[in-house]
Amino acid sequence: MDKYKVKNNVRKLRFNHDEMTQEQLAEKVGVTRQTIIAIEGGKYAPSLELAFKIALVFGVPLQEVFSYELEGDEK
Amino acid sequence: MSYQEKNITVSLVSHLLIGVYYLSQLFQMQQAGGLVAAKVFSLWATVIVGTIIVNIIGNILTHILLSIVHAIKTRSEHVEKYVEDERDHLIGLKGDRVSYISFSIGVLVAMLSFAFGQPPLVMFCLLILSSILAEIISDLSQLYLYRRGF
Repeated sequence: MDKYKVKNNVRKLRFNHDEMTQEQLAEKVGVTRQTIIAIEGGKYAPSLELAFKIALVFGVPLQEVFSYELEGDEK
Repeated sequence: MSYQEKNITVSLVSHLLIGVYYLSQLFQMQQAGGLVAAKVFSLWATVIVGTIIVNIIGNILTHILLSIVHAIKTRSEHVEKYVEDERDHLIGLKGDRVSYISFSIGVLVAMLSFAFGQPPLVMFCLLILSSILAEIISDLSQLYLYRRGF
């Protein structure tokens, strides 16, 4: 079976939102900076609730922040 | 290093110290002529109560010390909030699972020692040793997960 992975554009979206820092994003969604680092690095797939919160902060639909792709596939 | 990592490090050090204390006491008992039931059970109580007290005091002291360090570093009276998020909870749960599996193996080894003719006191000693080891392994696994990201 093909292996899928949750990928994200958090780093890019932060950059496009006045170069928001990881600390600022972490504070807005109520997690630690380490969790944001883990999400950006693809080490940790957030819960649905946290994913929606991140999308809300950036004001974009969830699909623009997170995608479920085949491992190794690049956009 | 995050607040949780520091907390787990304190817990790891305290469990290691308790483990060393426990083994040294057992070694002394062996040197003095073997395991004595009354002393073994008293050691049991000391280790269990000691672990609980050391963990509570360790957590409180870590929190106080980190707050003081934060206040000195930032030179502000603003109290640092230590957020515990979903990733911390999941890492904690994974640590609990590792602890549970390790302790189960320890219990099995203790039972096997009894089944293979060792005296019951050896089994009791192995039981408490396996619980300390399980906590150490759990702390190490949590630290590993924090270092790796998840």
